[in-house]
Amino acid sequence: MPAMKESALTRLARFRPRGLFLLFASATLALAAGWGAIGGAQAPGARAAGSGLPRTADGKPNLGGIWQVMNTAHVNLEPHSAEAGMPGGIGVVEGDEIPYRPEARARRQQNYEKRAQLDPVGKCFLPGVPRATYMPFPFQIAQTASHIAIAYEFAHTGRIIYTDGTPHPGPLDFWMGDSRGKWEGDTLVVDSTHFNDRTWFDMAGNYHSDALHVVERYTLTDGGRRIDYQATIEDPKVFTRPWTIRMPIYKRVETNLQLVDYDCVDFFWSDYLRQKK
Amino acid sequence: MKVRQRATIRALVAAAIATAIGIGVAAQETRPASTTKTAGAETKAADARAKATPRPARTPDGQPNISGMWLPDPSGRPMEVPSGAPWKPPAGFDPGTNAAYTFFAPDEGRRSVERDRRPMVVDPPDGKIPFQPWAAKKRDEIVAGQEKAELLDPRVRCLQSGLPRANLPVFYNSYQIMQTPGYVIILYEWNHMTRFIPLDGRPHVSPKIRLPMGDSRGRWEGNTLVVDVTNFTDRTWTVGHGAPPEGAPGSSITTGHGVFNTEALHVVERFTPMGDKIHYEATIEDPKVFTRPWKIAFDAFHRAPPDHQLFEYACHEGNARNVKLLTGVDIEN
Repeated sequence: MPAMKESALTRLARFRPRGLFLLFASATLALAAGWGAIGGAQAPGARAAGSGLPRTADGKPNLGGIWQVMNTAHVNLEPHSAEAGMPGGIGVVEGDEIPYRPEARARRQQNYEKRAQLDPVGKCFLPGVPRATYMPFPFQIAQTASHIAIAYEFAHTGRIIYTDGTPHPGPLDFWMGDSRGKWEGDTLVVDSTHFNDRTWFDMAGNYHSDALHVVERYTLTDGGRRIDYQATIEDPKVFTRPWTIRMPIYKRVETNLQLVDYDCVDFFWSDYLRQKK
Repeated sequence: MKVRQRATIRALVAAAIATAIGIGVAAQETRPASTTKTAGAETKAADARAKATPRPARTPDGQPNISGMWLPDPSGRPMEVPSGAPWKPPAGFDPGTNAAYTFFAPDEGRRSVERDRRPMVVDPPDGKIPFQPWAAKKRDEIVAGQEKAELLDPRVRCLQSGLPRANLPVFYNSYQIMQTPGYVIILYEWNHMTRFIPLDGRPHVSPKIRLPMGDSRGRWEGNTLVVDVTNFTDRTWTVGHGAPPEGAPGSSITTGHGVFNTEALHVVERFTPMGDKIHYEATIEDPKVFTRPWKIAFDAFHRAPPDHQLFEYACHEGNARNVKLLTGVDIEN
């Protein structure tokens, strides 16, 4: 058994990040045509925000569809150089730096050094919020007047955002928190709380405590082809002040596109049973 | 605090199911129900009920409206007619009305529902799953070998349920159905599974793509949602409840335990709204495992109270101790 433990763990640790990267790379290629046509041909802001948006029966901007980010926030939210197997990126944090408290910065550094072993996503755990948004996988939104459901392709992660005016229940801890949304004009504002302290923000070990509070803003724009996404992260146990990430989320437009379930736990067990044979 | 209580019970039950394979969850029939008439009778009865049910309301895009919160079937129906010696409940356990729910989930058990003794298998008429001989043998091996990781119920390992198993009653599951133009979306509380069922007539994905919950294509036939599902993996079970009853001989298990399938599995589901319930039928076809297509039918979804909501069921995340026991792999460190 100790040998199995070692090899399965090592395999997980080695395999997952690289696997995610390869997936990211192939998704990039698959997206390139549609993305170029939409993002490249039309300068941002050329179309007034809010005009010509698809809307639901109750008049709200319709976020329904399959979406995906195109950046390296999943590798590291902060600006980062490329590493072997990992693309670099200019970062998505406003002001470039996450405002850690001094003792928390030391913990983040430890996380970074042991990231191959410690990253909760490498163990097939639910990715948390906002990390689920910018995993290198698409996600699908279904929107009604009272609920917005998000199905993330990674590990069949689900999230239900209540837009029926109900408050957070609790107190309970969830991996994905408890999300309540409201519309401010054409922007969906989602308040999420009741998190546990076991998820990370990225593969670089950026983390939070159970005091995490996330406010996300989803603003549909560019005729419904892009969401301008923003998340403000507050956690007084870990950070000296609230901080914000921003990124566009692009509509996936391929004909007959659907999510292709990435059941991480299934792979974990298949991997184990193969080695056992 | 109701919420916390519920979560605590849920955690206890999940732990019980995951660790104590073999503990009696479903109180079984002590004698086989009369089944010779069930096949035609159940379908005819369902048709008659559907006709007597007022036309369901419509969504803005004209679909029969089945949206909302739903609870699992509480009637404790057995999957099939037992083929061997009938199982008897452990000494001191009252196998009375709704016993399975009362045993592990007192709150749920208080919903006073008469136990329904008819097997869910309505076709073939004998109420038994039509295994090919080699497959029946393999099923017995699976049932007898639940302490082995390679035979253990995939759901206890926190894989997704597969179909139609996802719609069979299991503790701490409930369902939310959403409808948007062109889609019916079913959210399952158990293990946060989601099905986006497109209604636009698109073809199935390539057979090269294998999906734990299969590839669903839906259409409305009158008030019935018909869903054709293909592209399954061979790593989930097609039916089954949480665990076999304590001390039950493999041949008497009526929970549908160990009903495996190959990638050839093809499921056709029918969801028919009937007032505060949704009647569910599934035709199950896998020519590599069964001698013929077979069908289950029961009222799978019961309308939940208006304030019901789904809670996160983080299955694998809470399964670390069991994973370590079974495999020696410590997923937490």
